[in-house]
This record gives sequence, structure tokens and C-alpha cells, in this order.
Amino acid sequence: MRRQLFRQVLSLLLACTALSGAAAHAEAVPDEVRFAYAGGPRVWILGKIDGAFDKAFGARVKWVPFASGADVLTLFAAKEIDIARFGSSPAAAGIARKLPIEVIGVPEVIATSERLIARQGITGLKDLEGHAVAYPANSTAQYAFEVAVKLAKVDRSKIRTVTLKPAEIVSAWKRGDIDAAYVWGPFTQELEASGGKEIFATRDLQKDGVLVFNNFVVRKEFADKYPELVVKFLRVVQDKVDQYKKDPEGSAQAIAKHLDIPLETARSTLAGLQYPSLAEQLTPAYIGQDASKANSRIARAYKDTANFLAEIGEVRRADIPESYAPYLNTQYLQRALAGK
Amino acid sequence: MSLETLSVVPALPEEVAPGRPGPSGRSLIWRAWPGPRARISLAAVALVLTLWQLSGSLRWIDPLLLPPPSDIWVAAQELLQSGYRQTPLWQHVAISAGRAVAAFLVAIVVGVPLGLGMGRWPTLAAVFDPFVQFLRPLPKIALIPLVIVWFGIGEGAKFFLIFISSFLSIVVGAAAAAQGVSQARIRAAQTLGASPRQVFSHVLLPDALPGIFTSVRLSVGIGWTSLIAAEMVAANAGLGWMVINAGTYLRTDVVLLGIVLLGLTGYLFDALLLLAQRRLVPWAGRDA
Repeated sequence: MRRQLFRQVLSLLLACTALSGAAAHAEAVPDEVRFAYAGGPRVWILGKIDGAFDKAFGARVKWVPFASGADVLTLFAAKEIDIARFGSSPAAAGIARKLPIEVIGVPEVIATSERLIARQGITGLKDLEGHAVAYPANSTAQYAFEVAVKLAKVDRSKIRTVTLKPAEIVSAWKRGDIDAAYVWGPFTQELEASGGKEIFATRDLQKDGVLVFNNFVVRKEFADKYPELVVKFLRVVQDKVDQYKKDPEGSAQAIAKHLDIPLETARSTLAGLQYPSLAEQLTPAYIGQDASKANSRIARAYKDTANFLAEIGEVRRADIPESYAPYLNTQYLQRALAGK
Repeated sequence: MSLETLSVVPALPEEVAPGRPGPSGRSLIWRAWPGPRARISLAAVALVLTLWQLSGSLRWIDPLLLPPPSDIWVAAQELLQSGYRQTPLWQHVAISAGRAVAAFLVAIVVGVPLGLGMGRWPTLAAVFDPFVQFLRPLPKIALIPLVIVWFGIGEGAKFFLIFISSFLSIVVGAAAAAQGVSQARIRAAQTLGASPRQVFSHVLLPDALPGIFTSVRLSVGIGWTSLIAAEMVAANAGLGWMVINAGTYLRTDVVLLGIVLLGLTGYLFDALLLLAQRRLVPWAGRDA
């Protein structure tokens, strides 16, 4: 009796999986596309507000929130998301760990949207010695902090660091437990509102050739199955960047209202990012394409990031790929640009 | 009492030949370790480990999702050699164990007397019971945002989270143990002219101790599980932190190594408590 029941359940399950597989092939559009977003003010949120992604795909978009880029890796591993916008340094770590993901674009170069905010009296990186600094674990902010400290030749061992989630950084700051924090908006503005002063911004690393950026990453399985949808995605994102550039104030207002954050926070965070166009992303100054990909600035930046993570012991050196170029899939960018 | 203690000795596992059942039917746990049961346990563990290893070697499961034991072994050797994030592996274990032991000790020192008092005096129980019963089932992770605001990000917050989860169970266990003491026995002692202090030290405490030990063992288990919650708060060393941090980089091998070490350390705590119970309360489970 029990065995029979078991068999019935099993055959039912098999039938279900077969059916769902067939359905997906027939219409070539998933029921739902799942985006992972950090909840902060970013340009693609404009597409969340007016439903531009849903319209372009002909499918519903589910926006999955996360606290920091590290969570994205877990969400990808669990196949809970399809496309994510997050930082370059967790992406470099995820690829080193052989997570089946691909970089499809670098929409934002971090300039002043991520900054090191410190208490009065701390005016430079050197002053951090003997103080406590917080940053979110495995984030672009942590990476920028560690590199900045190294470049400034500050004695790292004299700085006490703690990893906290962005919201926890604000409460630790208010209690006086930390003296500085490297984090992104809207949290940087909250720290400034309670007496903090900027002493460093990620843009300051660019003169030393260090590029920190946010990337769009897809689950490889998803992109292979719905390539057209990925192309549409990049086009909509570019539309939204154009919309923002045409009307920064109106866009900031819409995003601030949608996310329920102060307008000034949205305005300064949005302005704190640089937005390379689709065509620019395909030049070696960014991702490059075909032959120029191998030695492009972004490919090297990933490798540098991974090497750095290996140096501090977060990533195993043997896991780091020879080159990150194979994980940068530019065909979607190329097609998005051609169709423009 | 001394006769009683002597008669216990042959029942201890060191004295019992493997396979031969001990003379006492009550000491099940003691008999479980040597003998055929142990062999079955070992075989079961070996079987699971083999299947686990095969799942990775034969690629049934992506090693990223479930690293096989061989990967964990490699990770263990790497960490033993170079530490995890500049801290040697044994230090992570020691830091976590230190945090936990400190919290356990305070929880026992405060919790046992309070529990005994609550078991003896209904008024005291009536005062504390609502709070204990409200806080005890609360998921301690829910307290984290408050704990940061109250205690900051230092050791205080970590101590509090482990303390609060073990303390509450100890209180409840000790109260139940004190309540379980037979009234007749207390009256008998009183009739024989025992002072309240004598009643406490000669009747109440010896009778309640086995129950207290059991509740301490359970509470230590509960406290150890909240270590992860405690080390989610701005730690930069410790086993719980190692598991969480490695997770953010998808170092699932280090995560599993941390879990194995957490499990083994918890097991060790329990074994030590069991040993202490056998030494200090040899009359446990043998009502005179």
C-alpha cells in the first residue's frame, strides 16, 4: 500500500517536471524574471517604477531585495534569481568559486556613490590608525577600503575593522562604536547627517588605475535559454540611463519617492556613479569585445580584485581563473547595440 | 550514602566489558558507547561519509553546493597551515569556546539559584515566570538589532546573546527540578529537626541536582546553537563568524568545516558535562 502510494507520487512528480519543461520551450518566455536589487537608488529602478522591463519581456518581473553583494552569490547558487546588479568584487569571488554566472554588462562605475565617512578630527586615511572602521562583508566598499589603505601605505594592522550590514553600520555609528565606515548611499548620507565627514571616495582610486564598478550578472542557464530577453534587458537599462541623463532631477524625484528616501540622498547617489553607454562598454576601456576582451580594463580589474581577495585569504588562489575574459559575455551587449 | 556510591562503581563503562550488559538497567547512555551499538553507530557514520564522498566524486551533486569530505579535509589542512583571515584555526575554536563558556558559567551561576528559588517559593515564581516564559521561546536572532543598539558591537553583545538563550532554559529546568523534590522527604527531614539550611543542603539540593545537570546539558546545547547568532554581530574571529564570512564568499568547504568543528565542540561540551555529572552526582537516576 505504502509502496504504491510512493510510486504514484513519484510518477506525478515526473509528469509535472516534464510538463513544465515542455511549456517553457513552447513559449520561450518565462512566467517570471527574477531581478536581485540592493534597494538603493539606482537608475534601473526607473524601470521598476514604470514597469518597462515587464513590458519589454512580456513577463512579470520579480524584484528580490538583498542587503549586500555577498547575498547575491547565495541567491545565484540557490537559483533563486536570474539577473542581478551588484558589485565587481563579490562577482569576482563568485566566478572564482565556479558559480555558473556570466557578466553581461558594467552599467555603473563607482565614483562617489561609495565613500569612506569618518568622525570629525579624522581627516585622512593615515588618521584611521588606532580607530575602528566598518564596512559590509565582501563588498566593493570593503575592496575599495583595503586597496586605499594599501596605496596610502597606512599600517593596516593598526586599524580595527568590523564587517556589518549597511543598516547596522548606522546604528553602530550612532552608538559611537565605530569611528569610520566605508559604505554606499543612502547610508553614507545618514552618517553625514549625524556628524560624519567624507575622507575618501572610490573615485579617488581611479587615478591609481583601480576600477571599482557594478555589474549586471546573469545565471548562465537562464541566459542560454532566453538570450533575446537578456538583450531586451540591456536595451531597457540603456533607455533608463538615457532617461536619467535627460532629466536627472525628475528621475531622482521619482526614485526617491518610490524608495521612500530623502531626495538629496537619491540625487547624490545617482550622480555618484558614472554610466558608460552600450558602445563604450564594448571598448577596451571597459569590457571590450572579441580580441580586445582579454586585456580590457574590466577583465584586468576582475583579476586584480580576485588576486587581492586571495591575498587577504577570502578566496583560494588556485580557484582564480587564468583570465576573466571567458566569463564576460559581450554578445548580448553587441546585439543590444546593433538593435538600437 | 557511601554504600550507595560504592555500588555504582561497577556500572561505569570503564569497568564493564564490551558487549556485556551492565548490571543496571537505567544507565543506558553509559552502556551505549562500547559494544555492538558503537559498531553500528560507526558503520552508519562510515556509510554516510562514503555516500557523501561519492556524491562529490561522481558529480551527483555540484561540489559548490555540497563539498565532499575530501574537499573539507583539504580546506582543513589549508586553514591549519595558514589560518583563516590571519587568525589560526585553533584560535577561532578557542575564541568561540571562550565566549560560550563565559556565558554558560554566568548563566549557571545566576540561573540555578534563581530557578531553585522559583521552584521553592511560589511568589518568586509568580514574579519571574511571565518574563521567562515570554523570552524563552523568542528566536534570539530577532534580538540582534536591539542587542547592537544596547550593547554595541563588542564582546558584550555576543556574551548577552549566548547568555540569554542558555540562562532562560537553565532557570526553567532548575525550577522544575526543585519542584520535583518530594514534599514527603522534606517533611521527614523537618520532623527530624532539620533546619531550613540543612533541608536545602541535605535534601533539596541532592535531590534536584540530577535534574539541574540535565537542564544545564540541554541549555548548553541551546546556548551553543546561538553562537552563530552572537557572532553575526560584528565579529572578526570565531567559528560562527568563520561560517558566516566564508558563506559570503561562497567558500562552502570552509562553511562545512566550520559546521563540523561547531558540532564536535558542542559534542565535547556535552561529553565533559556528562563526565562531571557522573563524578559530582553519582546518585543520579538511583532513587534511594
